[in-house]
Amino acid sequence: MSTTNGHVIEARNISRVFPMSAGPVTAVADVSLEIRPGDHIAIRGPSGCGKSTLLHMLGCVEPPTAGTLLFRGDDVTKLSDRQRSLLRLRQIGFVFQRFFLLPMLTAAENVELPQSEANVPKAERRQRTQELLEYVGLAARAAHRPSELSGGEMQRVAIARALANNPGLLLADEPTGELDRATGEQIASLLDRVNADGTALVIVTHDPALAERSTRILSMRDGRIESELTSA
Amino acid sequence: MNAMGFAWRSLVRQPARASLGVLGVAAVGALLFDMLLLSQGLVISMRGLLERTGFDLRVTATDALPGQGPLIPNAIERSQAIAHLPSVRSAIALRFANAVVLAGGPRGVYTTFQGVAGTGAVHPWTILRGRDFTSGRPEIVINENTAARTQLAPGSRVMLRGSCTDQAQALPPVPFIVSGIAQFPFDSPNGTTIATSLPMLATACGGNESNEADVIMVASQEGAGASAAVSDVARLLPDLHVLSNAEAVNRFERGGFTYFRQISTVLTAVTLSFAVLLITVLLTVSVNQRLGEIAALRALGFSRGRVVADVFCESVLIVGGGGLLSLPAGALLAIGLDRILKRIPGIPADVHFFVFEPSTLQIHLLLLSATAIVAALYPIRIVTRLPIAATLRDEVVG
Repeated sequence: MSTTNGHVIEARNISRVFPMSAGPVTAVADVSLEIRPGDHIAIRGPSGCGKSTLLHMLGCVEPPTAGTLLFRGDDVTKLSDRQRSLLRLRQIGFVFQRFFLLPMLTAAENVELPQSEANVPKAERRQRTQELLEYVGLAARAAHRPSELSGGEMQRVAIARALANNPGLLLADEPTGELDRATGEQIASLLDRVNADGTALVIVTHDPALAERSTRILSMRDGRIESELTSA
Repeated sequence: MNAMGFAWRSLVRQPARASLGVLGVAAVGALLFDMLLLSQGLVISMRGLLERTGFDLRVTATDALPGQGPLIPNAIERSQAIAHLPSVRSAIALRFANAVVLAGGPRGVYTTFQGVAGTGAVHPWTILRGRDFTSGRPEIVINENTAARTQLAPGSRVMLRGSCTDQAQALPPVPFIVSGIAQFPFDSPNGTTIATSLPMLATACGGNESNEADVIMVASQEGAGASAAVSDVARLLPDLHVLSNAEAVNRFERGGFTYFRQISTVLTAVTLSFAVLLITVLLTVSVNQRLGEIAALRALGFSRGRVVADVFCESVLIVGGGGLLSLPAGALLAIGLDRILKRIPGIPADVHFFVFEPSTLQIHLLLLSATAIVAALYPIRIVTRLPIAATLRDEVVG
């Protein structure tokens, strides 16, 4: 029987080892972490320290090779690929450094796509898409394709897409990595707002300014959490 | 947006690539369609031709084709005996010879000369103008080519010199009256053919060939069927060979027509292989260009089945679009190729190499569907095995 203890995610001693021809490589080693609703967490550390791998495990993209990962009390390692896909679709949002918007779809269609996959009725998803585009300040650009948007606008559409199915957890991997300082600041503010509205947020970033907006900052090195700073 | 809509948008995103794919499939599909038409075309066409003559049995002296084997002796009596069988409606004895119609130039016109004997029977030709000849009178019917080259018309009088053996003969010409213009089913496009009664043909050949025929053509009673008539004739005349239309077609299929089927089978396999390779390459390139997007969609919760469906639908759209275009293209190509092949000497004008049947369309559809599935297998494998996290990492690093 699953118990949630109010946690969105509970990771107990999770590791991720990649088998390589030259020998196994441990990307994440023995990490324990709890994410509660409304948490604002930043994960930082040098390149190759395992930040993105940890984020992908927390996002149920790849299961840990050791340890226990519970999402709202359910053991992720015991879910099938299909079940993990459904869990990501309905409960987790992803924001990528390179946005990965579909270039042949308009901004509105990109936001509508995950809802369509989740079988949200057409009228309802139209309404939700409109609301989300207004939320990220892009209602006027709904009919524009990604090629007609700036980098900041594309990332805002990507955030709207990540929020499409109203997830409890939003994961962002270097969300400002491809943006200039001013635009990055706007995206950081938008993510703060998303978090303030109740969505737990985990950001992987190299940017100290972005990390310092979080209430918990996890520093990683060599696949382990070296330290955790908590602010009020 | 469902998988088909998504696939459509993916294709429209790169219209040049999609158009190339569709046109490639259209070209390959047109060839495939033509190979299917060719594989059965001659057999279907020959069957239709045999059935249109109004006779469904052929009786010959040996296993050889009519006109290529020994003659049937006492052909008139034998055709009459066959005509009296309860399973038989009518029977005619038919003799093939040659004749020079002395008109249309100093050397005359060389023709195939047919002599027919049989009472109350339909002749295996269609009268276009004038009337059929009357038995016992020196009358002939001639085909359009003969009429055009000799300037003869119904009512014209003409001299002709017959030749019923392979040896050179210098027989005196015999006068005939043209009773009508007829269409002969086995005429080649430029063939010149004339016909009269068997006794009149014998007269034109010097009077010694009055009761021999190359073939006795038999029409079975409607209720009895060809197989009953075959049995009855075989019992009545055990020294002769009886062949129904269906058996004749089977012989054609086992004989020379086999080559067409073999050629079309080989070319079908080759064209299908090209189609599979073409679509596989296009889809693989397309998928490889979008690995990051696909990995992102998977991370966002799109199932493996859904992204597989997207790729498969792209294959279906390319093959479907190309397949639709392939039908008119294939039809036009078949008409052109048929015209070329019909220039082979001796091919009857009513025989076609490329013949459409509804089953051809079904097989075409089936083969193209199989092509779409097989062509999508490799790109689907790429999508299915795509490591989401590693791909997202690689895309950022790249």
